[in-house]
Amino acid sequence: MSKQADSGEKMIPTFCSLCGPTMGCGLNCYVKDGRLVRVEGMKESPGNKGKLCPRAFASMQWLYSPQRLKYPLKRTGKKGEGKFEKISWDEALDIIAEKLLEQKEKYGPESLAILSPARRSYSDYLYRFLVVHGSPNYGHSGLCAIQRAFGFAYTLGTPMLMPDYERADLIIIWGANPVYSGTPQGAIDRILNAKDRGARLIVIKPQIQPDAAKADIWMPVRPGTDGALVLAMLNVVINEELYDAEFIEKWCYGFDRLVPHIQKYTPEWAEPITGLPAAQIREVARLYATTRAACINAGNGFDQAVDSNNAVRAVAILMAITGHIDRPGGNIAPTMNPDMPRVKSVHLRERYTQEMVDRLVGPEIPTCFQPFIEGTSSAYYHCLNSVLTEKPYPIRAVIAPGTQPTVITRGTKRVIEALEKLEFFVVIDVMQNASMPWADVVIPVATMYECDHPFEGGMGNWLMARNQVVERMGDYKSDYEFWLDLAVRMGYGEDFWHGSIEECMNYQLENFGITMEELRTYPNGIVFDNVPPIFEKYERMFSLRSPRLSRAPYLPQGKVAIYNTTFEENGFNPLPEWVEPPESPTGTPELLNKYPLIFSDSHTSEVYNAGWLRNVPYLREIQPDPLLHINPETAKKRGIEDGDWVIVESPHGSMKVKAKYFPGISPDVVMGLQGWWQGCDELGKPGYPLLDGGANTNSMYSTDPDRAFDPLVTAMPKQTLVEVRKATDKQVDRGKK
Amino acid sequence: MAEQYGFYYDAERCIQCHACELACKSIHGLEPGIHWRKVIEFWTGEFPAVTRTFISLSCLHCAEPACEKACLPRAITKRAEDGIVVVDKEKCNGCGDCYTACPYGVPQFGTDGIMQKCDFCLERGKKPACTEPCPANALSYGTIEELAKLASEKGAEKLAGDTVPSLFIRNRRKAPFTAENLRVG
Repeated sequence: MSKQADSGEKMIPTFCSLCGPTMGCGLNCYVKDGRLVRVEGMKESPGNKGKLCPRAFASMQWLYSPQRLKYPLKRTGKKGEGKFEKISWDEALDIIAEKLLEQKEKYGPESLAILSPARRSYSDYLYRFLVVHGSPNYGHSGLCAIQRAFGFAYTLGTPMLMPDYERADLIIIWGANPVYSGTPQGAIDRILNAKDRGARLIVIKPQIQPDAAKADIWMPVRPGTDGALVLAMLNVVINEELYDAEFIEKWCYGFDRLVPHIQKYTPEWAEPITGLPAAQIREVARLYATTRAACINAGNGFDQAVDSNNAVRAVAILMAITGHIDRPGGNIAPTMNPDMPRVKSVHLRERYTQEMVDRLVGPEIPTCFQPFIEGTSSAYYHCLNSVLTEKPYPIRAVIAPGTQPTVITRGTKRVIEALEKLEFFVVIDVMQNASMPWADVVIPVATMYECDHPFEGGMGNWLMARNQVVERMGDYKSDYEFWLDLAVRMGYGEDFWHGSIEECMNYQLENFGITMEELRTYPNGIVFDNVPPIFEKYERMFSLRSPRLSRAPYLPQGKVAIYNTTFEENGFNPLPEWVEPPESPTGTPELLNKYPLIFSDSHTSEVYNAGWLRNVPYLREIQPDPLLHINPETAKKRGIEDGDWVIVESPHGSMKVKAKYFPGISPDVVMGLQGWWQGCDELGKPGYPLLDGGANTNSMYSTDPDRAFDPLVTAMPKQTLVEVRKATDKQVDRGKK
Repeated sequence: MAEQYGFYYDAERCIQCHACELACKSIHGLEPGIHWRKVIEFWTGEFPAVTRTFISLSCLHCAEPACEKACLPRAITKRAEDGIVVVDKEKCNGCGDCYTACPYGVPQFGTDGIMQKCDFCLERGKKPACTEPCPANALSYGTIEELAKLASEKGAEKLAGDTVPSLFIRNRRKAPFTAENLRVG
């Protein structure tokens, strides 16, 4: 366009990776005098089709933030003090390589844990490094996605079943948020289109978030009680005989064992636990069971409750016995385009041995089910906790790439104690972060705008090379270059393309018969056709082999595992049960006198992901303060005005946040947002302490070894009981600093 | 009559994601605190029978703009060819009378003290940047004739008001989109 020519702007296409783990969003970046001045959505990209979210539009402020790291750092002060000196890349890599090799020799390779960020395009590089080093300890969250994938895989034979919004007459969004997560990727658009053509929308979650604002029926379930709700819905479906008898007969194992088991879980039983009227539970169970084309988006809420494995299995069974699996408008197994080659993985899964699996320091799922779909994993929290317990052995070195243990897992106090004691801690980030003060070495990495790799192609039908948009703003490597360089330094070069990023990229593209430089000649990448879905692929779905070393099938009977013999053989309950959160009105009524309200949090909002992005002015001004969503009635009873600073106290910690009158939440429940610690220099907004008096929701929850972990999938809960009171003037002043 | 450009907004689809708001801010390089477009919300009812409604609001490019009438230095004009209301930065004295006059709180004042607001992306050929990225397809633009046609297909209505705003709203749930509820700033 002439305007661009006149203004001296140059357009460079690339793709966004500010969030994950969906396919990246195509971006057209406009650069003037070497600076990124604005971005627009790329219409040709098949995922976002020109759509974007607010984070992408604010990403220039992220790229040019004064909080960017500039060069590698070495700690000079005490742990937690935050004093560092600048070092060279050679020195940084030498320090890390020497320490890891020394510890490997002294304590064994399993003494290293790498903490997992949200699933990223570099996740498999972390796995590769661990496998070559000899450690199974990939420290996965213990509270995201794997929990659902595990329950679905071992019940329905398939880890992920997609809601078929296009063909659905009834859509249930349950503990999910298609507005705050992956917004431009089309799910919310498809849901709204379904509604516009007359489909009904039911949203099950504690607050009226924007998706619930569109619902025909909103079910304000109490945090962490989704499992009780599913069991009661199963009770209604079974006792009113609303199930698909033919499907059960042909494709389900153990239905007859479920029938007596489910009798105690009546809607009346669930009412005081979930806070939902029994009549509403009956209505929704009937609607779902009797609508032929009905789907459920069961989201991350299911991963963050101590009842997780039960709730996921129960919802999978509900889908199955009502005949909603792999049928039009139901929950379907994706149909892949057979003509689209697969990217070659950099994971070295084939090198796993039983000996490695047995050395997991704190398995996220029991070792008998490892490795699972991503590889082997210890729970993130357990990796850190082992430093203190030394059981079964202490982790000696932790590397945290793009993840912040002090704000992103539960039990902040204990995490900080572990970081104090930990022998060696490396932080990798683009920005100063909340765990950096404890790091021995800090590694500064380039943003997506400063890299010409990797490529998009792992998640969908789109293959596109990343293009570098601006020169690197500091002495950076990319995440990918860092791991290759460190591997070479440690003598693992044979397995890491001798440090060549180009060879590494080309290796992954081999099946496409194209090199990275050839791929780069397609300005909008290569789009492969989507193929029409094939339904009722039961034979194939129910015979899929698991990724365990034995490759035993997920479903030994070749049928939906309503009664789960695999779990039973390994000492776990064969049928889903109800487990109360560590603290709840029905589980621990003795606490209600002191802590009368239920507390939980969300970990994503319209502008923030987890513990990131508070330093970006355009985003911070939309959500300037850490809030407590509180029903006006509950607030007024305590003399709390809208916008007052309040102290929220649980049996485990306290925080100071701003009360926000929120009519769309039960008077019994208050909710916060995870991830507050960071300040925004440009707007003069403060940062917050990590422990008491700060705004860190993760310091509020139980980490009791006996009560705060789902025995099958870890699933640390985010539910507790609290009291809320107005902060004194002194407490408010302290917050202003 | 010359053309009149305006916006179409679907309250049944908007999800308050703020993409429109930030597309506008970043493409025009607006300073923090300034909103040419803003997504606001309001609530009705009490738990559990509560409704939450959103609206994405910018200058409404009214047919009879109150700001123009209030502007003594005649910095604000309504363009004859497309009905877009614009402000001449050279003539504006920053008095704020336009802000008082506008029923929707549209005029904004940054560190330079001069009035600024949505100019319908004139520089982009009257293709407002806010409409493109909307993940919910809740916001579009066009001439009043085009929008009236779209509105009759979708069951939307033109927003009523003394200044005759150029905005159509699809509002099946009958949210109270009254002038006192609709404020940019």
